[in-house]
Amino acid sequence: MNRNYIFLTILMIVLAVGTLMLKPAKQLKQIEPETLLKEIVQPTRYISTDEVAKRLIQGDPSLLLVDVRSEAEFEKYSLPRSLNIPTEKLMADDNLSYFGVPGTKVVFVSNDDIKADQTWVLTKRLGFNSTYVMKGGLNCWMETIIDPVEPSPDAEETEFKTYSFRKGAQMYFTGAQVDDFNDSKVEVQVRRKEKTSVASGGC
Amino acid sequence: MHIHELNPWRTLIAVVIFVVILLAGFVTMTKPLLTYHLDMNESIQQLSDENAYFYPWELDGFIKKEAQNVVLFDIRDNFIFGQGHIPGAENISANDLTQEDNVERLEKLNEMGVTVVLYGENQLQANGPWMLFRQVGFDNVKILAGGYQYYAENKENLLAAKDNNSFKKGIPRYDFAEKAAPKDGAAVSTTAKKPVQVQRRQKSTVAAGGC
Repeated sequence: MNRNYIFLTILMIVLAVGTLMLKPAKQLKQIEPETLLKEIVQPTRYISTDEVAKRLIQGDPSLLLVDVRSEAEFEKYSLPRSLNIPTEKLMADDNLSYFGVPGTKVVFVSNDDIKADQTWVLTKRLGFNSTYVMKGGLNCWMETIIDPVEPSPDAEETEFKTYSFRKGAQMYFTGAQVDDFNDSKVEVQVRRKEKTSVASGGC
Repeated sequence: MHIHELNPWRTLIAVVIFVVILLAGFVTMTKPLLTYHLDMNESIQQLSDENAYFYPWELDGFIKKEAQNVVLFDIRDNFIFGQGHIPGAENISANDLTQEDNVERLEKLNEMGVTVVLYGENQLQANGPWMLFRQVGFDNVKILAGGYQYYAENKENLLAAKDNNSFKKGIPRYDFAEKAAPKDGAAVSTTAKKPVQVQRRQKSTVAAGGC
């Protein structure tokens, strides 16, 4: 065999090994800025305080509340079963390992929704899915769950349904007593099974 | 004996074509429109940079056309923009922000040293786009604190924002611990918080075996 060929082969192998070393070993995976903007424009990341309350009451194990406020604020008050990761410490101490666990939904909570949303953008840049933002944050939590406002009498029925859920949630989270419970016996409305007739149609 | 040893010209032509193709590949390689200029830690730091915000009282000068070198971009939908907007603002819907001509425009404004202020219906709407443009290196992009909502409610007296913090976001509006305390007069429980049991992602180690 020609000597030139051996030399060329060795050169190719050395270059190939060289390209392997080009990429720095430690680099976080990131999504493209354009992809990130597309994700940002979608409003699907917002989850209501009612939904969070419902999941907390049901004890949904797939829910992980991440409180992004400072440690001092977290120490004073926090939602039950929430974890404190201040936004400033997002990249510190392995905190990222809480995200991207299969089957877990991470919901960011802050005073309102700005800081939670900022944390969401940061984690989204790193490509984590299943992260959400509690819309309105703790301010909204206080207004809707802890101190719900009774809807006006002519409000829609769904509003009353929401209100009665919130009243129940209020009792669950604060131990408040039901104040307007009527002691007098309420007549029980029994719904009877209607007789089926052969003529009744439908599918 | 190989064929190219008989005909060195052929070899030369083949090598030249090969090199030309490689060069053409490199030259025409599309450069991504946007790349991150700030790493994660820098991105977190710039969130608390006061110069990255545009305050409601600064709008006063903008509307009176006293402020030079400021451009306002309304990132809401065209329809909502038509129903009312800050005088002098331009409409670029959030969906179109990364269109090539818009990015080129931003680059030009950046070179000219013009401040670009993004605003949405509320501060939250513009928050994501603002963070993104800062992270890809547009240090002239600012966000309007309070968003359009605050402007619409206080347009008569924008300067008052200097003295109150009603436009500010991210601050608690209540004393949470007090408000959420049991209503029956029981003492606020001061028991230490229980650590939460959370599942973490496992670090993949090379040594981990198994099938």
